[in-house]
This record gives sequence, C-alpha cells and structure tokens, in this order.
Amino acid sequence: MEGFKPFYTFTSPTRVIAGQELIGSAGFELTKEGASRVLVVTDSVIRDTGLVDRVAEGVTDGGLELAGSFDEVPQDSDTEVVESCATAAKEAGADSFLAVGGGSVIDTAKAANIIFTHGGTVREWEGFLTLPRENEGIGRPLRLAPLGAIPTTAGTGSEASFAAVVKDSSEHIKVEVADLPLFPDLAILDPAATETLPAPIAAATGMDALTHAIEGYVSSEWNQHADAFALQAIRLIRDNLPRAVADTSDTEARGNMLIAANLAIAPTGSGAIGITHSMSHPCGGHYGVAHGVANAINLPWVIEFNAEGGEDIADRYRTIAELYGIDAPGDREQVGKALSDHVRGLTAELGLPQRLSEVGVPEAGIPALVEGAMGDGCTLVNPREPTEEDFAELYGRAL
Amino acid sequence: MAYFKDAQEVYDTIGKLFVDLADDDELGPKFRKADTIVKYEFRDPDSEITVRLQPDQPGDVDFGTSEIEPDVVMSMDADTAHKFWLGEVNVTVAMARGQIKARGPVAKILKLVPMTKPVFPRYKKQLEEQGRTELIDA
Repeated sequence: MEGFKPFYTFTSPTRVIAGQELIGSAGFELTKEGASRVLVVTDSVIRDTGLVDRVAEGVTDGGLELAGSFDEVPQDSDTEVVESCATAAKEAGADSFLAVGGGSVIDTAKAANIIFTHGGTVREWEGFLTLPRENEGIGRPLRLAPLGAIPTTAGTGSEASFAAVVKDSSEHIKVEVADLPLFPDLAILDPAATETLPAPIAAATGMDALTHAIEGYVSSEWNQHADAFALQAIRLIRDNLPRAVADTSDTEARGNMLIAANLAIAPTGSGAIGITHSMSHPCGGHYGVAHGVANAINLPWVIEFNAEGGEDIADRYRTIAELYGIDAPGDREQVGKALSDHVRGLTAELGLPQRLSEVGVPEAGIPALVEGAMGDGCTLVNPREPTEEDFAELYGRAL
Repeated sequence: MAYFKDAQEVYDTIGKLFVDLADDDELGPKFRKADTIVKYEFRDPDSEITVRLQPDQPGDVDFGTSEIEPDVVMSMDADTAHKFWLGEVNVTVAMARGQIKARGPVAKILKLVPMTKPVFPRYKKQLEEQGRTELIDA
C-alpha cells in the first residue's frame, strides 16, 4: 500500500471557512457562492437552541434575503421530508440553501436541492453519478442551487461530502444519491455551532470521524491526497476528542474536532472507506444503533481483522499507532491488537458502549446483519476481503 | 475502436454469458439472492440487457428493449463491460472515474461483485470456444 498508484481521483471542492464568530457572517460568505434568497434548513432541536436565529441574523446582515426556515427535519430524515423541503424552498421563492444541523439536516438539504433544481423524486435520482450532465450526459455536471452548511456535530463530514443518505420510510430502506454537485459550496466550521452538543453525542460523532480517518487511510482506495487529510484528522482527534467530550465548553477542542471531521471525510470522496461502516450501517437499519456508537464498537474488531490480512495493511495501522504513541513492534497481529486495545480504551474513556449487545443487538440478529454488511458498498474497498463467515465472526466478537 | 461491431455481437458474447449464468445450478441461485432486476445500458455499440435476479423467479435475460421494469440501471461502454467480465476492471475505480454509472439501489448490485470472480475464467473460456480470442487479447 505504498508507491505510485495506477489511478486515483481526489475531489474536495467545498470552500471551508473555519474559526470563531463566523455564524454572523453566514450571509456574507454565502453571497460569494451566488445566493441571494436563502432557505435555512434545520431541525427543531437546533431551532430551540437559538442558533438558527443567530444564523438568520447573519444571513440578512450579509445582504441576503431570508426566504424562510424549514425546521421539520427529523433525527433520521426521509424522502418525504426531503420533498417537503424542496417544495418549501420553491414556495418561499428561495434560490439557495443553508443547512444548520447534523448529518440528517445537511443530507436533507443536499437531497432537497436536487429536487429543487432538477425536479423528480429522491428515488428517481438514487444511485451513483446520476445527476444531469452536459454533452449528452458525459460532460460537466449541471450545477445545483448554491448550498452552504453549518455543521452542529463534529462527525459525519456531510458538509464536505458528495453523498446524501435518507430513509424511504415506506420501504424501510436507505436511499443514497452520490454525485459531484452534491458537494456543498460552503462549509462554515464555527465551534459556536456545537456549543450545545451533549457530551455523549460529541463522543459518538467524534468516533465516527475517527472511523472515517482510519478506514480511509487503510482502504484499498487509499491515495496520497487522502492520506494527508486522514493523518491530520487522526492527529486532531487524538488531541481534541477527549477534551471536547470531557469539557463541552472547551471551544478550542470543539473547533478542532469540527476541522478533524471535515478532513476525515475527504478520503471517502475517493471511495476510501471500509467494513467498520459496512458492519455499522445494518446495526442502524435493523436496531437503530446510532452510527457513531456502532462504529466505535465495531472499529477495534475490524482493525484486528484487517491487520492480520497482510504486512502492507499492518504497516498502515502501524503508522496510525505511532501517531498515538503506541509501542507497536512485532508482527501484524500484535500491531492490530495494540491499536485496537487503544481504541477500546479511548471509547471507554469517552463513556461509549463497548458491545453491540449493550445497544440492543441480539445474537439472533447476526445473520441479517451479515447479509447487510456483505451488500454494503464499503465492503468492496476494505483492504482485506471478508467472507460471510468473517462478518459473522466479527459481529460475534463485537456482540 | 470498439471491440464489438454491433449490438448482436454484445448479445452473442456478454449476453450469452448472462444466459448461461442464469441457467447455472450453482451460480444462478447465488446471483438471484440479490433480489433485483438489473438493466445494463451499453454504449458503443448501443445495446441493452435486462436480467432478472430474483429468488424463486425465472432467470430472465432479455436482449434489447424489455418489458421488465428494472430496479437498477448500470450504464457503461460495452468495452468496459467486456473488460469487467475478463476480470480487468476494478469496479470501484471505474465508478469513481464515471466509466460505470449506476441508477437505483446500487448496494444490491455491489454485493454481487465478490461473486463474479469465478465467472472471469468462464467468460474467457466461452470466448475461446466461440473463436473470439481476439476479444481476449484486445
């Protein structure tokens, strides 16, 4: 997993501004992306914190018109909400979106933007590279309306990703749309947006970011650009996640975690991810386990499994171990064990569950989870190819 | 220059592979576990193959316009499809480059990818038996 790769692609077009007291300049910054009349997309929890009012002030202070506020996004958004959001934008005469919230809110705004711009339904756009393009579908993708995002959690990285995932509640499935225009135009990373984030959610979302970074770094689709983002994300998470969870008023730690989550998502744009995500997605789908919590539980078991897959994979984990100051000499098995033990220690320190059985996953559910993990796109790019039996064993260990 | 001169050549090669897989006692049921219907839209030459992959259903393989409504549509050059079945295309890379586009619940198809490995030598053997060895070396 070194050398000059025959091919890779890396895309990270979202303009990021990071720092303090940026909420008030939301309008000033979004103007630069071509917005003039903005629909703010959020949820009721964020609305009740007062953050949305400050964002709205920032929008109008920047010379933009506020078309309205759509605050009906649930914790786990779905296609109907997306379509309502697009309708709200049209009825309000909006020409742009500003998402203020976590991954569900940002993905809702991104998916709504597709329908707002191109029409149709979420299901009609489901898939990979499905959005309209110039030159009979093979040229430059047609632009969506300007979209900015202010993340209120430091984890999903949706403010800088090219995918949107929402539920189809009628069919009980997740629907994903992934295409380049879905990269938001602007991400505003201001720790003031996470100041009301409870410690358990800061811990879980932070572990989601760490999982993105570690999986991105060891994925079969690793690349030099993604490495740079992933390794710096790991350093920032190492130095800031425990602080951000222990003291939710630690502005510096929360700000750096926002940056870490933003960096950590970058490898996924090259397809770099892995089977921790494959295992965690069905845990959420079948048992409602929060994504960050599932990742925190599954990650150490996957590290051990992958590290045993080859010296080149173990070398990548060794680099991560060195960043954590872990003494990890010896063979690949020892490297995997040393790093996974460290991750378990971290999740325990953060107060997160250690076992899937603690979060409602029964042993009888493993076959369905295995089927989901085998069919997950992240499995294809894991550095070690797992069989159904491997997944069953991994779930058994994590149980 | 494209490997196949017209749609019929695509159906005679890649299409025949799909028909044989549908009839295969071992692989057919495994692929049908995907529980979906896939339409492959090929360019250069323009051609379409629709495959029913549903448990306890006949393994329909339709060439050209089909009355079967697909769940997933995979679009690519016929050359890319040919190279894939020879084991020479990394699906992840091809998707990242836009050589393969997928509309619909893509995960249903992606989970079949690991199962396609045993098919690669089979496709090569089929081409040899058809006297199309020039397609193997292309």
